[in-house]
Amino acid sequence: MSKDGEKSGWKEYIWNPRTREFMGRTASSWGLILLFYVVFYIFLAGLFALTMYVMLQTLDDYKPTWQDRLATPGMVIRPKSDETYEIVYDTRNTETWDLYAQALDKFLTPYNNSLQTEKNKECTPDEYFLQEDTGDVKNNPKRSCQFNRTILEACSGINDRYYGYQIGQPCIIIKLNRVIGMLPGKDGQAPFVTCAAKKYKIGKDQWREDTDKIGEMVYFPPNGIFNLMYYPYYGKKAQVNYSQPLVAVKFLNITTNEDVNIECRINATNIPIGSERDKFAGRVSFKLRINTK
Amino acid sequence: MGYGRSDSYRVATTQDKDDRSPKKKKGAKDMDDLKKEVPITEHKMSIEEVCRKYQTDIVQGLTNAKAAEYLIRDGPNALTPPPTTPEWVKFCRQLFGGFSVLLWTGAILCFLAYAIQAATEDDPAGDNVSIVLTAVVVITGCFSYFQEAKSSKIMESFKNMVPQQALVIREGEKVQINAEEVVGGDLVEVKGGDRIPADIRVVSAHGCKVDNSSLTGESEPQSRSPDCTHDNPLETRNIAFFSTNCVEGTARGIVICTGDNTVMGRIATLTSGLETGKTPIAKEIEHFIHIITGVAVFLGLTFFILAIVLGYSWLEAVIFLIGIIVANVPEGLLATVTVCLTLTAKRMAKKNCLVKNLEAVETLGSTSTICSDKTGTLTQNRMTVAHMWFDNQIHEADTTEDQSGASFDKSSITWISLARVAALCNRAQFKAGQDQLPILKRDVAGDASESALLKCIELSCGSVRAMRDRNKKVAEIPFNSTNKYQLSVHETEDLNDNRYLLVMKGAPERVLECCSTILVQGKEQPLDEELKEAFQNAYMELGGLGERVLGFCHVLLPEDQYPKGFAFDTDDVNFQTKDLCFVGLMSMIDPPRAAVPDAVGKCRSAGIKVIMVTGDHPITAKAIAKGVGIISEGNETVEDIAARLNIPVSQVNPRDAKACVCHGTDLKDLSQDQMDDILRNHTEIVFARTSPQQKLIIVEGCQRLGAIVAVTGDGVNDSPALKKADIGVAMGISGSDVSKQAADMILLDDNFASIVTGVEEGRLIFDNLKKSIAYTLTSNIPEITPFLLFIIVNIPLPLGTITILCIDLGTDMVPAISLAYEAAESDIMKRQPRNPFRDKLVNERLISIAYGQIVIVCLNPHALGGFFAYFVILAENGFLPTTLVGIRLNWDDRSCNDLEDTYGQQWTYEQRKIVEFTCHTAFFVSIVVVQWADVIICKTRRNSVFQQGMRNKILIFGLFEETALAAFLSYCPGMDVALRMYPLKPSWWFCAFPYSFLIFVYDEVRKLLIRRNPGGWVERETYY
Repeated sequence: MSKDGEKSGWKEYIWNPRTREFMGRTASSWGLILLFYVVFYIFLAGLFALTMYVMLQTLDDYKPTWQDRLATPGMVIRPKSDETYEIVYDTRNTETWDLYAQALDKFLTPYNNSLQTEKNKECTPDEYFLQEDTGDVKNNPKRSCQFNRTILEACSGINDRYYGYQIGQPCIIIKLNRVIGMLPGKDGQAPFVTCAAKKYKIGKDQWREDTDKIGEMVYFPPNGIFNLMYYPYYGKKAQVNYSQPLVAVKFLNITTNEDVNIECRINATNIPIGSERDKFAGRVSFKLRINTK
Repeated sequence: MGYGRSDSYRVATTQDKDDRSPKKKKGAKDMDDLKKEVPITEHKMSIEEVCRKYQTDIVQGLTNAKAAEYLIRDGPNALTPPPTTPEWVKFCRQLFGGFSVLLWTGAILCFLAYAIQAATEDDPAGDNVSIVLTAVVVITGCFSYFQEAKSSKIMESFKNMVPQQALVIREGEKVQINAEEVVGGDLVEVKGGDRIPADIRVVSAHGCKVDNSSLTGESEPQSRSPDCTHDNPLETRNIAFFSTNCVEGTARGIVICTGDNTVMGRIATLTSGLETGKTPIAKEIEHFIHIITGVAVFLGLTFFILAIVLGYSWLEAVIFLIGIIVANVPEGLLATVTVCLTLTAKRMAKKNCLVKNLEAVETLGSTSTICSDKTGTLTQNRMTVAHMWFDNQIHEADTTEDQSGASFDKSSITWISLARVAALCNRAQFKAGQDQLPILKRDVAGDASESALLKCIELSCGSVRAMRDRNKKVAEIPFNSTNKYQLSVHETEDLNDNRYLLVMKGAPERVLECCSTILVQGKEQPLDEELKEAFQNAYMELGGLGERVLGFCHVLLPEDQYPKGFAFDTDDVNFQTKDLCFVGLMSMIDPPRAAVPDAVGKCRSAGIKVIMVTGDHPITAKAIAKGVGIISEGNETVEDIAARLNIPVSQVNPRDAKACVCHGTDLKDLSQDQMDDILRNHTEIVFARTSPQQKLIIVEGCQRLGAIVAVTGDGVNDSPALKKADIGVAMGISGSDVSKQAADMILLDDNFASIVTGVEEGRLIFDNLKKSIAYTLTSNIPEITPFLLFIIVNIPLPLGTITILCIDLGTDMVPAISLAYEAAESDIMKRQPRNPFRDKLVNERLISIAYGQIVIVCLNPHALGGFFAYFVILAENGFLPTTLVGIRLNWDDRSCNDLEDTYGQQWTYEQRKIVEFTCHTAFFVSIVVVQWADVIICKTRRNSVFQQGMRNKILIFGLFEETALAAFLSYCPGMDVALRMYPLKPSWWFCAFPYSFLIFVYDEVRKLLIRRNPGGWVERETYY
């Protein structure tokens, strides 16, 4: 009995022919309430738009208000496999390393000497390339320094199209994240990258490192430095053709058929060591495994 | 149907529906059994038969061995306490009731998601959410549990009263034992002041009187004797009942029933078997939980499916599901409601209303009918001299509790004589050691009318004891029902006067018969017809006021006939009892309490109907009803109209009479429709001479008409009605244990006026709960919108699960609770009681205001304030809104550590997550900021804040507390690890200020419109 009552109650609620009410409201009632909400929301949206507009006006076009979260710039490696920082391939299986070579090719294309000379300026090395604005007069667009692909020598992919991958001497390219206005290094000492075996956990309170497996490494440019002339960075808008400096590491006789954990760090006196939690601030770690049999 | 239709107090009190309920098949049989007549037959047996039945001896009593055997067989002589739910069940109910199930689901899903993540990845993110959710459920569960335990502890105090002792005779020796150890067949002795330890068959009695009021409602003590006077065991004189009191005299009897088998035990068992409905607030909250759960599950599943369709992995979809559920459920709300109710309960306890069941607080507020017992609740439960007639004139005595009333001329010689008669012909006396107490508070040994006289004389003429010492008593004939008078002979005060003074008091007509003269202005005058008529008129008038009238007369016996040392023989009266001198009349009533008329008036203006239900006589009931305003001045009953117009009662149109005095015997002949008719058409009703089951019928009748009924009562006979009522109110001082068990609330001072305070508090808490809920809900809704935008527009998540919990259980709690301290907006006692069908705690307007905003657009001031802060932080860190849309996939990609912002800078995963969590913190802080305005808005529903003022100190404290807590969560070191909340730049606190200001202005305008156009469109659409 109650169920029937409920059913007809529902029906009546959706459309009550007697009072011509749809969902408990007449057309005019619906109209009024909708109008109210429309006005209310237009007003709210207007206020939101206004506050957003005011906020956007306070922003500088060339430099974000806060950069404190970027005190330690991040570091990343190329080539990068999908989800993880693992480079695993088999020298005998072309497909497995060809992907990496192609990725590097693609990544390095903008650094081709022809492009660099066309767009960028040749700067004086070992000093900051400062292009400050004078008061309100913007010194734009700002020039950028050339970073020629050839600087990477053996890892440039010009002479060795496969970046050493097929012979078990792979190149890994390291870059430091762009941060506007950052001047790494101090007293003319350029920041440089060092790679070493990474300590990793194999169990509770048990650590291992693969120092003996890592073998000999070569850095390009020599000593793995990021030359000072590439700093500071003035932002995408002011410095359109900025070429981010790179460092390549070539592993000459790394132990094959085994996982090797490597960590590379930036060394610069004025870059603070990042927090424990952030594994990519000022350092980057990856796993390398080259299968030969 | 099914109710006892006899005048006797049958113990049948339940409705038939109890029999029908299938789930209680086993219980039903017991119930039927209980409803039958009391199966006591011992009163019809001879004493020898009873002795044989219990194998006891009329002189020696039981043997110890036998007693021990019976004790093992029958169990202790105590009432089984009503079945209590085990503590762990109560705890589990708190842990898994309400919203907890949803949150448990969330926690489990979260844990599963974490487990899967942990199994597939080496370095899973911490599983904070599932831990926090579990903690939330357990903590709020424990909290509610302890709140409940606290209020039930109050009841424990009542149970642990001093253990009763009983004097039994075993193996011929009198021994004092614990009443619990009394067994059937025991020979017990009771004396005045004792509590009867079990149902006993009286075998011998000396002037024994028992007070059966807790069982039958009759306030007059009844005498007990060994003879069977009635077939009905409840009416017969030779049975005394368990837990009634022996007022005076002594008696010896054989125990025939113990514990639960006693008459009292049966009523108690029956009462605990009555099922009661849910309280209105429980229904409201359940209704509310259903809505919220429905919406939460619906939205959760919708977005779960949407997420799957949009191509998210199912793991992510589950996380969305949890987020939406957590955002939807106002986790702190139930705890807030509990705290608000507890606070009110505490406040009420201070005003002498002890609340057993927290929810009863609000029930009292929605009460629309109060069925009040008369004795002790409306009246002082203390006979007091109300009027006197002497010198052919009625004088009014002061009946107020504090002696602030009118006084009369005490100089008349007649008054002095009357006082002397009343003092001397009186066996009552003050108990020792009470000299410091005011006279009216002193305990008196003696019956009610004599005590009244004693106190009256003591008040107006000084020490009665001294007067009695001066006039030594020589002889006395105590009151008995054949004479209907009491008489004593005293020496006179004047030592030179050797005459004896004979004083007499008794039923006025009997006393008058003994008189030939009357004292007027100190002079004896012959009692002529004129004076006799004056006497008759006075007697009728006082009787008509419902008062008990006594006549007084005296005579100085002539010295020649009764010289000093005359031996007065009271058995074979050898002295003059005729031709006495009539002195005057004194009439007594149990006067109404001083605060009651005012309280009844308040109830009336609050739209609450007050019905008097009493076991007393209609005339007395009506007099008191008129005295306290239950029958207001100028309102007439059918009988009054008939008397005024001088026509038979049957010719009066019952519709003309607003008031009605209904006799219990009439009541049992009424059909349900007639009953409804009376309750509906009379605004002022008095039920007199009612039995327990009739009380139940009255309560049910009121409930049938849709009223929420409060019942007050003190006796065991009231307990079924107390239990059946929406809220039963028992008396703390005079109430029996059984009635206290059945009640939801206890009036510690037995005063009706306390109920009114309770009603006021109840109404206030209902209003304030609405405010609390509106406050909580408005912050709850914006918690969903971030998830919706996250899924649909693919922006980084603006508000995390943990931060949502911080709002719901952290910053929102104290302000929401502080609203319970809010003062009333208008005179809530001038309003009609709320209609439980229409005025809901959470009505659809509130829900539609709250949820309507997400359904139409994902906007409301809270959310906008939060989003604004979110956009500000991201933009100031380099991610402009244009970049943000669609960034989510890369943003949440752990392996992408060079994500480019609008300025061309690159961010690692952790760096941008810190910014994201800073955004969560800012969103959280923004909600707190908007909640500042919100709590001020929610203070009032109609008035402007400027009218209401900011006098609520707790609320101001709440504002500071929530701000301090927000600052603590944001700035305390370690919070980044524990809750992933980060310090905000000072400027980010101000992002939500415009929105805070906006909703304040908006709501002030809304309230202004509501006030300007009462009942207008704005009120209809937006008033909650």
